Amino acid sequence: MMTFDELWVQEERQGLQRRLQQDYPAWTRRRHTTQIVMASVAVVVVAAGIALSTLHSPHSTYDSVACNRSGIADSHWASVASNILTIETL
Amino acid sequence: MKRLLYILLLSLLLAACSHEKVELLLYQQYASRQDLTVAQVKGFQLCDSVKVDVVILVADDSAAWQGLKEEFDIRTSEGVTSWVGDIDNPTLRMKGGDRPAWRAMAVHNAMTIAFYRIDTEEQLDALRNYQMNMIESNKRTETML
Repeated sequence: MMTFDELWVQEERQGLQRRLQQDYPAWTRRRHTTQIVMASVAVVVVAAGIALSTLHSPHSTYDSVACNRSGIADSHWASVASNILTIETL
Repeated sequence: MKRLLYILLLSLLLAACSHEKVELLLYQQYASRQDLTVAQVKGFQLCDSVKVDVVILVADDSAAWQGLKEEFDIRTSEGVTSWVGDIDNPTLRMKGGDRPAWRAMAVHNAMTIAFYRIDTEEQLDALRNYQMNMIESNKRTETML
Protein backbone atom coordinates (compact mmCIF):
# COMPACT_ATOMS: atom_id res chain seq x y z
CA MET A 1 0.00 0.00 0.00
CA MET A 2 1.54 3.28 -1.12
CA THR A 3 1.26 6.41 1.02
CA PHE A 4 -0.24 9.56 -0.44
CA ASP A 5 3.23 11.18 -0.64
CA GLU A 6 4.65 8.19 -2.52
CA LEU A 7 1.67 8.23 -4.84
CA TRP A 8 2.16 11.98 -5.41
CA VAL A 9 5.83 11.55 -6.30
CA GLN A 10 4.96 8.70 -8.64
CA GLU A 11 2.20 10.71 -10.28
CA GLU A 12 4.41 13.79 -10.38
CA ARG A 13 6.92 11.83 -12.42
CA GLN A 14 4.17 10.90 -14.79
CA GLY A 15 2.59 14.36 -14.76
CA LEU A 16 -0.71 13.01 -13.47
CA GLN A 17 -1.24 14.85 -10.16
CA ARG A 18 -4.54 16.21 -11.43
CA ARG A 19 -6.12 12.80 -10.85
CA LEU A 20 -4.89 12.78 -7.25
CA GLN A 21 -6.05 16.37 -6.78
CA GLN A 22 -9.54 15.32 -7.78
CA ASP A 23 -9.60 12.06 -5.81
CA TYR A 24 -7.86 13.28 -2.66
CA PRO A 25 -8.50 17.05 -2.34
CA ALA A 26 -7.81 17.17 1.42
CA TRP A 27 -4.48 15.33 1.11
CA THR A 28 -3.51 17.53 -1.83
CA ARG A 29 -4.23 20.69 0.15
CA ARG A 30 -2.20 19.35 3.08
CA ARG A 31 0.71 18.52 0.81
CA HIS A 32 0.63 21.93 -0.81
CA THR A 33 0.54 23.60 2.61
CA THR A 34 3.54 21.55 3.72
CA GLN A 35 5.45 22.50 0.58
CA ILE A 36 4.68 26.19 1.07
CA VAL A 37 5.71 26.05 4.74
CA MET A 38 8.99 24.30 3.91
CA ALA A 39 9.78 26.72 1.10
CA SER A 40 8.98 29.68 3.37
CA VAL A 41 11.26 28.31 6.10
CA ALA A 42 14.06 27.89 3.54
CA VAL A 43 13.62 31.49 2.35
CA VAL A 44 13.61 32.80 5.94
CA VAL A 45 16.78 30.82 6.79
CA VAL A 46 18.62 32.14 3.72
CA ALA A 47 17.48 35.70 4.44
CA ALA A 48 18.61 35.38 8.08
CA GLY A 49 21.99 34.05 6.94
CA ILE A 50 22.51 36.95 4.56
CA ALA A 51 21.37 39.44 7.20
CA LEU A 52 23.77 37.93 9.77
CA SER A 53 26.70 38.01 7.38
CA THR A 54 26.16 41.69 6.58
CA LEU A 55 25.08 42.86 10.03
CA HIS A 56 28.67 43.33 11.29
CA SER A 57 29.57 45.67 8.42
CA PRO A 58 26.73 48.13 8.02
CA HIS A 59 28.77 50.27 5.61
CA SER A 60 30.10 47.23 3.72
CA THR A 61 33.70 48.42 4.00
CA TYR A 62 34.87 44.92 4.92
CA ASP A 63 33.67 41.32 4.86
CA SER A 64 34.86 40.04 8.22
CA VAL A 65 37.26 40.85 11.04
CA ALA A 66 39.17 38.62 13.43
CA CYS A 67 41.27 39.73 16.39
CA ASN A 68 43.31 37.90 19.01
CA ARG A 69 41.97 40.22 21.73
CA SER A 70 38.36 40.56 22.72
CA GLY A 71 36.49 43.80 23.32
CA ILE A 72 37.72 45.70 20.26
CA ALA A 73 35.04 46.68 17.75
CA ASP A 74 35.41 45.24 14.24
CA SER A 75 34.96 48.73 12.78
CA HIS A 76 38.06 49.89 14.68
CA TRP A 77 40.25 47.58 12.60
CA ALA A 78 38.67 48.72 9.35
CA SER A 79 39.46 52.29 10.44
CA VAL A 80 43.06 51.35 11.21
CA ALA A 81 43.41 49.68 7.78
CA SER A 82 42.05 52.88 6.21
CA ASN A 83 43.91 55.42 8.38
CA ILE A 84 47.32 53.89 7.73
CA LEU A 85 46.74 54.56 4.05
CA THR A 86 46.21 58.25 4.80
CA ILE A 87 49.77 58.65 5.98
CA GLU A 88 51.98 60.04 3.29
CA THR A 89 54.99 57.83 2.61
CA LEU A 90 58.20 59.28 1.30
CA MET B 1 9.13 16.53 0.39
CA LYS B 2 12.67 15.12 0.30
CA ARG B 3 13.68 17.74 -2.22
CA LEU B 4 12.46 20.49 0.08
CA LEU B 5 14.36 18.97 3.00
CA TYR B 6 17.53 18.96 0.89
CA ILE B 7 16.93 22.62 -0.02
CA LEU B 8 16.43 23.46 3.67
CA LEU B 9 19.63 21.66 4.68
CA LEU B 10 21.56 23.36 1.88
CA SER B 11 20.20 26.73 2.94
CA LEU B 12 21.30 26.12 6.52
CA LEU B 13 24.76 25.11 5.30
CA LEU B 14 25.03 28.21 3.09
CA ALA B 15 23.90 30.45 5.92
CA ALA B 16 26.49 28.90 8.24
CA CYS B 17 29.27 29.20 5.64
CA SER B 18 28.49 32.81 4.84
CA HIS B 19 29.24 33.73 8.46
CA GLU B 20 32.44 31.68 8.71
CA LYS B 21 35.66 33.61 9.33
CA VAL B 22 38.62 32.12 7.52
CA GLU B 23 41.88 33.11 9.15
CA LEU B 24 44.80 34.23 7.00
CA LEU B 25 48.09 32.39 7.51
CA LEU B 26 49.91 35.58 8.51
CA TYR B 27 47.23 36.29 11.12
CA GLN B 28 47.55 32.74 12.46
CA GLN B 29 51.32 33.09 12.72
CA TYR B 30 51.11 36.10 15.04
CA ALA B 31 47.74 35.66 16.78
CA SER B 32 49.24 33.68 19.66
CA ARG B 33 51.80 36.37 20.50
CA GLN B 34 51.15 37.82 23.95
CA ASP B 35 52.97 41.10 23.25
CA LEU B 36 50.99 41.95 20.11
CA THR B 37 47.39 42.80 19.27
CA VAL B 38 46.76 41.09 15.96
CA ALA B 39 43.80 41.60 13.64
CA GLN B 40 42.79 40.66 10.15
CA VAL B 41 40.28 42.48 7.98
CA LYS B 42 39.03 40.27 5.18
CA GLY B 43 37.72 41.99 2.10
CA PHE B 44 38.63 45.58 3.02
CA GLN B 45 36.94 47.64 0.32
CA LEU B 46 39.19 49.99 -1.65
CA CYS B 47 36.61 50.95 -4.27
CA ASP B 48 33.32 49.63 -5.65
CA SER B 49 34.83 46.54 -7.21
CA VAL B 50 38.15 45.93 -5.46
CA LYS B 51 38.83 44.47 -2.03
CA VAL B 52 42.00 43.38 -0.25
CA ASP B 53 42.76 41.37 2.85
CA VAL B 54 44.63 43.18 5.60
CA VAL B 55 46.59 41.91 8.60
CA ILE B 56 47.46 44.39 11.34
CA LEU B 57 50.09 43.93 14.05
CA VAL B 58 50.10 46.39 16.95
CA ALA B 59 52.89 46.22 19.52
CA ASP B 60 51.55 46.51 23.06
CA ASP B 61 54.65 48.35 24.32
CA SER B 62 57.94 49.78 23.11
CA ALA B 63 59.83 46.56 23.88
CA ALA B 64 57.42 44.60 21.68
CA TRP B 65 57.76 47.27 18.95
CA GLN B 66 61.55 47.02 19.11
CA GLY B 67 61.20 43.23 18.73
CA LEU B 68 58.89 43.65 15.72
CA LYS B 69 61.26 46.13 14.10
CA GLU B 70 64.13 43.68 14.43
CA GLU B 71 61.99 40.82 13.14
CA PHE B 72 60.99 42.78 10.05
CA ASP B 73 64.38 44.44 9.63
CA ILE B 74 62.99 47.96 10.01
CA ARG B 75 65.95 50.27 10.48
CA THR B 76 64.26 53.67 10.67
CA SER B 77 62.71 55.05 13.83
CA GLU B 78 60.18 57.61 12.66
CA GLY B 79 57.51 58.22 10.04
CA VAL B 80 56.40 55.33 7.89
CA THR B 81 58.47 52.47 6.53
CA SER B 82 56.98 50.54 3.62
CA TRP B 83 58.08 47.54 1.63
CA VAL B 84 56.77 44.68 -0.51
CA GLY B 85 57.02 41.43 1.45
CA ASP B 86 57.03 37.79 0.41
CA ILE B 87 53.55 36.29 0.73
CA ASP B 88 54.76 33.39 2.91
CA ASN B 89 57.39 35.33 4.82
CA PRO B 90 56.77 39.10 4.77
CA THR B 91 60.07 39.77 6.55
CA LEU B 92 61.67 39.10 3.12
CA ARG B 93 61.71 42.08 0.74
CA MET B 94 60.42 41.38 -2.76
CA LYS B 95 60.47 43.21 -6.05
CA GLY B 96 57.46 45.45 -6.65
CA GLY B 97 56.10 43.32 -9.48
CA ASP B 98 56.02 39.96 -7.68
CA ARG B 99 52.51 38.54 -7.05
CA PRO B 100 51.02 37.63 -4.72
CA ALA B 101 52.76 39.81 -2.16
CA TRP B 102 52.18 41.80 1.01
CA ARG B 103 52.36 45.60 0.76
CA ALA B 104 53.60 46.39 4.25
CA MET B 105 53.48 49.73 6.03
CA ALA B 106 55.04 50.22 9.45
CA VAL B 107 53.93 53.32 11.35
CA HIS B 108 56.43 54.10 14.08
CA ASN B 109 54.45 56.42 16.30
CA ALA B 110 51.51 53.98 16.29
CA MET B 111 53.81 50.94 16.78
CA THR B 112 51.76 49.29 14.05
CA ILE B 113 52.48 47.33 10.90
CA ALA B 114 49.69 46.79 8.36
CA PHE B 115 50.00 44.23 5.59
CA TYR B 116 47.78 44.57 2.50
CA ARG B 117 47.59 41.41 0.42
CA ILE B 118 48.12 42.18 -3.28
CA ASP B 119 47.21 39.45 -5.74
CA THR B 120 46.53 41.52 -8.85
CA GLU B 121 47.59 44.76 -10.53
CA GLU B 122 44.01 45.95 -10.13
CA GLN B 123 44.36 45.67 -6.34
CA LEU B 124 47.67 47.55 -6.35
CA ASP B 125 46.20 50.33 -8.50
CA ALA B 126 43.13 50.53 -6.25
CA LEU B 127 45.35 50.67 -3.16
CA ARG B 128 47.41 53.52 -4.64
CA ASN B 129 44.30 55.41 -5.72
CA TYR B 130 42.72 54.92 -2.29
CA GLN B 131 45.90 56.19 -0.64
CA MET B 132 46.13 59.25 -2.91
CA ASN B 133 42.45 60.06 -2.47
CA MET B 134 42.70 59.79 1.31
CA ILE B 135 45.84 61.96 1.47
CA GLU B 136 44.27 64.61 -0.77
CA SER B 137 41.07 64.52 1.25
CA ASN B 138 43.08 65.00 4.47
CA LYS B 139 44.96 67.94 2.94
CA ARG B 140 41.70 69.57 1.86
CA THR B 141 40.32 69.17 5.37
CA GLU B 142 43.48 70.66 6.90
CA THR B 143 43.32 73.62 4.50
CA MET B 144 39.70 74.30 5.42
CA LEU B 145 40.48 74.25 9.16
